[in-house]
Amino acid sequence: MKGTNLGEFEELVLLTVASLGTEAYAVSVKSSIAEHANRIVNISAIHSSLYRLEDKGFLTSEFGGATSKRGGKQKRYFRITNTGLVALQQSKDLKQQLWKTIPQLSFQLV
Amino acid sequence: MPSPPRFAQQLFKWWCKKADADDLLGDMEEYFRYNVSKKGKLRAQMIYIKQVLSLSFSYALKKRKRSASYSNFYSQNSIAMLNNYFKIALRNFSKHKLFTSLNILGLALGMSICLLALSITVSIYRSDEFHEKKDRIYQVNTYIADDSEDKTYASTFNAVGDYMEGKYPFIERSVKIKSGFRPEFIHHGNPMRFHGYFANESFFDVFSFPIISGNPSTALQEPYSMVLTESVAKKLFKNEDPIGKVLETEYGSFNVTGVMEDLKQTHFYFEILTSYSTYEQLEPNSTLNSDWENYRNNYVYLLLNPNTAKRTLTESLTQVSEQAIEFNPNRTIELQSIILEDVVPRWNVSNALGIGWDQPSLMFFMFIGLLILLPAVFNYINLSIARALKRAREIGVRKVVGAEKNQIKMQFIVETILLTFLSLVGSIFIFIEIRNEFLEMVGSASVLDTSLNFTLVSVFILFTLLVGVLAGIFPALYFSRLNPIHTLKGEITNRSGSISGMKKGLFVFQFFLSLFFIIGVSAIAKQYRYVFNNNHGFESDNVLAIPLRDIDKQVAINELKNHPDVKAVTTSSNLPGIFLSGTEEMTPNDLDTINVSQVFIGENFIENMKVKLAWGESESLSKSTQNEELVLVNEQFMRSVAVFNLQKDSLTFTLADGTKCRIVGIMEDFNFEPLSELIDPLVFRHSLEESNYALLTINSPDIKKTIDDLDDIWSSVDQKVNFEATFLNDEIETAYFFLTAQIKIFGFLSTFAISIACLGLLGMVSYTTENRTKEIAIRKIMGASSNGLYFLLTKDFIKLIVISAIIAIPFSYVFYDMVFLHFLIRYGSGLGIIEVLLSIIFLFLIGFVTIYWQTSQVANANPAGNLRYE
Repeated sequence: MKGTNLGEFEELVLLTVASLGTEAYAVSVKSSIAEHANRIVNISAIHSSLYRLEDKGFLTSEFGGATSKRGGKQKRYFRITNTGLVALQQSKDLKQQLWKTIPQLSFQLV
Repeated sequence: MPSPPRFAQQLFKWWCKKADADDLLGDMEEYFRYNVSKKGKLRAQMIYIKQVLSLSFSYALKKRKRSASYSNFYSQNSIAMLNNYFKIALRNFSKHKLFTSLNILGLALGMSICLLALSITVSIYRSDEFHEKKDRIYQVNTYIADDSEDKTYASTFNAVGDYMEGKYPFIERSVKIKSGFRPEFIHHGNPMRFHGYFANESFFDVFSFPIISGNPSTALQEPYSMVLTESVAKKLFKNEDPIGKVLETEYGSFNVTGVMEDLKQTHFYFEILTSYSTYEQLEPNSTLNSDWENYRNNYVYLLLNPNTAKRTLTESLTQVSEQAIEFNPNRTIELQSIILEDVVPRWNVSNALGIGWDQPSLMFFMFIGLLILLPAVFNYINLSIARALKRAREIGVRKVVGAEKNQIKMQFIVETILLTFLSLVGSIFIFIEIRNEFLEMVGSASVLDTSLNFTLVSVFILFTLLVGVLAGIFPALYFSRLNPIHTLKGEITNRSGSISGMKKGLFVFQFFLSLFFIIGVSAIAKQYRYVFNNNHGFESDNVLAIPLRDIDKQVAINELKNHPDVKAVTTSSNLPGIFLSGTEEMTPNDLDTINVSQVFIGENFIENMKVKLAWGESESLSKSTQNEELVLVNEQFMRSVAVFNLQKDSLTFTLADGTKCRIVGIMEDFNFEPLSELIDPLVFRHSLEESNYALLTINSPDIKKTIDDLDDIWSSVDQKVNFEATFLNDEIETAYFFLTAQIKIFGFLSTFAISIACLGLLGMVSYTTENRTKEIAIRKIMGASSNGLYFLLTKDFIKLIVISAIIAIPFSYVFYDMVFLHFLIRYGSGLGIIEVLLSIIFLFLIGFVTIYWQTSQVANANPAGNLRYE
């Protein structure tokens, strides 16, 4: 396993899971990313990063919520763990610090 | 709402193996539905397939599969489960006895014909396995192509054997065989005809045919030496030792030099062998070892030295081909070799030696077998699914306690296989019963060994497994797909009121097949009757045929004529109405020859047999002179000669033996041979010496006494010659043995097809009526009459039988009237309407009795009792 660092896409997925609360499963994560980030992502990519995050201990999952809309198949709900929250926090803090070091001038140029 | 593409789902499930991927499928399905509403069905399906592919190779699935492979608490089918399946299957069999026995009987009947076909196929493929040197023996074949033909012959040029053995040292021995040795032995006054080959002395060295007595290496050396098979030796010499005995034939007298065992499991088919040198002596003008032109009926087998590569042989054959082309400049010739074991069965080879089994006819036979078996398999599928209601609850419970789809499938396949094995036992009994009967019909099949041996039994078992899986797969798929909740609630849709389209199709097919075979039987039976009720163009009633043999013919005829019951006597060389053997050649001009059949007749033959003359008279036949023989011919003869457009007197011609003939009368065409044969050009010559039979027209009140009297007269002429009298009509009847064989075959097949169709009908009717018991009871209480109920229950089935009849009639008409009967009996009467009608009535009757038997039970039952049913 490649350490516990968060990749860019992983961070996006983790944040989405956190924001969805108890309603986070692959399809809802996918549509939420589409809505907020305007990115169309493959379900397989979402699943892969969800499991990677689970392996890293940032997410837990449980089954439930079979509906006829899904052909009677179960959903796998993901929830963010404390470790996950801490990792998000750290990533945010790191970025915050880096933001502060950017000179004002160049910021305005953008 | 459309659902995702099934195959993609199946593929994904299969790819996941044991890993649980329910949620992945669910996600994809949800997304799919979203896409359907946004982008349309087709796009959504495309996206779904793409999703499946990308998920299949994603980390998500790899991880799941890895972790699933560690858990080992759950295996697909253990021995305990299999045991359970067996137990449940046996219980089910004994619980539903009607269902079980219908299926076992049907499958046993259907499989038996297949077993027959299999056993023959297996034994043909195993032909010539017993030869010790089989790996080194090759048959030389000839491919010839020119403007008119393009064929591979099993035979080869006369010169090939000697040429190759002399030129190539890697050839150890060569065997030269010529077919067409058919001598007639005169044995104790009875003529007996056997067929065999001319073969050179290396025959027994190369092939390992067991020799009973005689020296195998010299038995075929001297001219006029002969080797008999055991059964021929028994026929001729009973228990005497045949070695050294002399046999008189029309070819000369032969010395018996050996006795071999009867042929078994080989592509050769002969009763006697004589030496190749005999042929050289019989045809002194032919130069066999330098003949590169004739390639028919001449066979060469080469025994190579050990460790000779096949390529060496192929290369040398290419050289020999060039040699052959020099003599046949306008042809493409290619000599080929085929190893002994592959000689039969071949796909397509002309002029094959012996029986010449070919693959197409084996496949046709197998096809017929499958045609009978398939309806039985359909029956099983139909009945099993029709019984879904009864088994569904069991499946529901199994599923609830954790049975997988695959396990349910397994259960039904195991059950079906068990049933097919029970049928196998039955069909082996049927197979043994019909085997001999059938092999007799095939005639030369006696060399095949179809006794149950290890290979055959293994083939049977494999075949049964295959049938079991084939028949079991459909019910298995059906049952494994049932929804456990529905089954436990008893909510399986009851479709018993109507029969689905596929089942209808099956019924129609089964009854079509049955009707087709029944019409076949009656059509052939009609030909049979026709043959005997219509004369062939001559008088055969009340004619007694007596073989003359060595008796003094003129004296015997004069004496027989004196009996008061004998109205007229004549003689002939061949009995009219019987097959003629061989033809003579005649030359209408100096270049061409045409084949004619010649028959020698005695005085008054034309008058007694009431043959009609179209022109001329027959009185002067006996007035032949030394220079010119006076003959009668038929119209066909005149037509054949007319083709040559001769500019000379058309009433004279020369036979190949040099006899000059003058035609004094022309007979109207009539069937001198059985009706299956084309009417050939025919020449009637007058000769008492050549006549073999006396034909007596009898008019007697007590036929037995007359024959006894004639026997006395006969004995007074010559005591040494046996008196034997048969009616010409009886002789003709035996000549039509091929019709009897056909009737038997079609009888067999139709009995099987009808039985299976009726078993299927019985099963379906019994289950549909059973499922409608309540409905019938309510109808009855509401006042439905018995007749009304019968009509209700039977109308569906009757409709199907009517449809099958409507299809079968034109089909059978085209098949039998235009194709089959034409080949069987050229001058027959075709297919009659009465036969077709009778066949249909017969089938309807059987079908109706089957339906009635079942429906009457329900229709007559007490409605109160039936309402409590279930």
